Amino acid sequence: MDKFGSIVRINLTTGSVKKESLCEKTMKEFIGGRGYATKVLYDELPKGTDPLSPENKLIFANGPLTGKGAPASGRYMVVTKSPLNNYIASSNSGGFWGAELARAGWFMIILEGKAQKPSYIWINDDKVEIRDASAFWGLDSHEATDKLLAAVGDDKAKVACIGPAGERLSKLAAVMNDKNRAAGRSGVGAVMGSKNLKAIVVKGSSRPHVENQDEMKSVLATAMEKLKTNPVTSQGLPTYGTAVLVNIINQIGGYPYKNWQGAHMPEADSQSGETLARDFLTKRYSCFGCPIGCGRVTKVGDREGEGPEYESIFSFGVCCGVEHLEPIIEANYLCNEYGLDTISAGVTIAAAMELYEKGYIKKEELEGGPELKFGNAEAVTYWTKKMGLVEGFGKKLAMGSYALCEMYGHPEFSMTAKKLEMPAYDGRAVQGIGLNYATSNRGGCHVRGYTTSPEVLGLPQKLDPAEYQSKPTWVKIFQDLTAAIDSSGMCLFTSFALGADDYAAFLKAATGFEYDAAEALKAGERIWNIERLFNLREGMDTAEDTLPSRLLNEPIPEGPAKGMVSHLPEMLPEYYKLRGWDAKGIPTTGKLEELGLQ
Amino acid sequence: MIKVLFFATIRDYTNEKETTAEGASSIEGLLRFLCARYGPEFETEVFEGEKISDRVIVLVNGKHIAHTGGPLTPVKDGDTIAVFPVIGGG
Repeated sequence: MDKFGSIVRINLTTGSVKKESLCEKTMKEFIGGRGYATKVLYDELPKGTDPLSPENKLIFANGPLTGKGAPASGRYMVVTKSPLNNYIASSNSGGFWGAELARAGWFMIILEGKAQKPSYIWINDDKVEIRDASAFWGLDSHEATDKLLAAVGDDKAKVACIGPAGERLSKLAAVMNDKNRAAGRSGVGAVMGSKNLKAIVVKGSSRPHVENQDEMKSVLATAMEKLKTNPVTSQGLPTYGTAVLVNIINQIGGYPYKNWQGAHMPEADSQSGETLARDFLTKRYSCFGCPIGCGRVTKVGDREGEGPEYESIFSFGVCCGVEHLEPIIEANYLCNEYGLDTISAGVTIAAAMELYEKGYIKKEELEGGPELKFGNAEAVTYWTKKMGLVEGFGKKLAMGSYALCEMYGHPEFSMTAKKLEMPAYDGRAVQGIGLNYATSNRGGCHVRGYTTSPEVLGLPQKLDPAEYQSKPTWVKIFQDLTAAIDSSGMCLFTSFALGADDYAAFLKAATGFEYDAAEALKAGERIWNIERLFNLREGMDTAEDTLPSRLLNEPIPEGPAKGMVSHLPEMLPEYYKLRGWDAKGIPTTGKLEELGLQ
Repeated sequence: MIKVLFFATIRDYTNEKETTAEGASSIEGLLRFLCARYGPEFETEVFEGEKISDRVIVLVNGKHIAHTGGPLTPVKDGDTIAVFPVIGGG
């Protein structure tokens, strides 16, 4: 095997399994994970490929730090062409699966074609087999994981799989690993389902290569000290999980209520991280090598599971007008089991609620199911289940918010950017995050450039969320840095305590390549631009760098941010300029030459 | 009457989610008043010497005091003040 791990290319149509060496030049320039996989997809995928056809490629990719001892370094990426919007899909997940893939000696899996029957892949160190998964098809992610581990006869192996949502090609389907970790967004689970691939089971026994162990130890010691003394990574996230954000985002008036018809929920504390910790938390969960432990293990009645994260509380809670945590937790469990993205699932139900309350969806269409009214907790769990099973009216929900609203003639109710459902921060109250949603290459996503950190949380410095003139600069920097972190194999949450210097030092120790902070950011910029090129090649109109009209034209009606709208039109030209793109948002020849992408 | 809300670990020091206060004219004055009410642990969390600590986020009617005048931010009857520790998530 190559010292940094090898690439395995598996054609599910022909059954061929080929080992390939990774290219160290590409690794240096695109780091790994999100960056390297996007480069492969850009080079290999013909323009116009149907995302759910055998011709699409599905790539699982580690970063050069995955599984190698850096803190929170269990991350891997799933990269493909999204069936939700036909643009780049790159979803990140933690847990232990990625680290196990590294221990098996693999850096990346490239999946092509379509299996003739339900299949799974069994990777046992350097042995890679395509196996029959007929016995596991139809199982939810938890049952499938247990039975697959029994089938391979090794309960220490790690499973990444799809649930019924992915099998039935829901465009909101996630890839689930370690039962409850999700590469959630952009419908990557549907692409896996379209290939008749139920799971990838991995077991490894080697220690992943680190180029300079002494340097790694030194960098690790510095980083651990920062993580242990930072109040976010040492106290806030471990104690309350990501749900600690509920109250502060609500207090600033940026907590999207009833499908963004409002931005403040007076009862928000009843669904906060504080309430979750007090009434439902049984223990914390930590991914591979993570000193933070933000994961939540919870119990409701006789049901125990993981989550919810802040985003899931938002989507099934405030966005659907639901106050209490019990149904939100239940909906979150269902998403883990059926393999659904929680953000897209909840926001799609919220859009359906608006369509229903305004009379566009008729009661008869619900076939006796609970009415899609804001605040109806029963509707949230019931329709999440139907969406996960892709049955009845759930078939329409499983298409996602944009397709649903368009079908009913009202795409303006779809709270999406590039057809991907937006997360839990109102871009009217927090200007920079709105620009980030509008320009994110995969669509409405907060973790492409999490400017909420400086705009609301004051990290690394305190920016006024209402001010917009400075935000293009921040958005660009955060987007580039995030692309580098995602590609490294480390968790983005470490960035509350660590900076570009730290990530560059980890990359240098692990690979021996001469990274510094500027080089890491440059690699991030390169990744951002190749994602942009991918989308443009697929026909993206740069007019799609926008937000729903509600955020641009309807002032927030109440709460602390009352009266605010997004200033996207003022921010976008400056953002394009900073990116070195032309006035229409097309990367210039000069910029592409500078990045080696010409 | 000024309404004061406490969140996350700040509640460990106040043992209540919210309270009311009157008489203070600035954020700093209000926080000093609350220190007298809740004691030295609360004070240690909220103040670093004479300065409001960087370990807390203080909002006045939803606006961070960094953007409203800092410790001298005026407060008046009807205002809502929120006190958080520095937190993060995603």
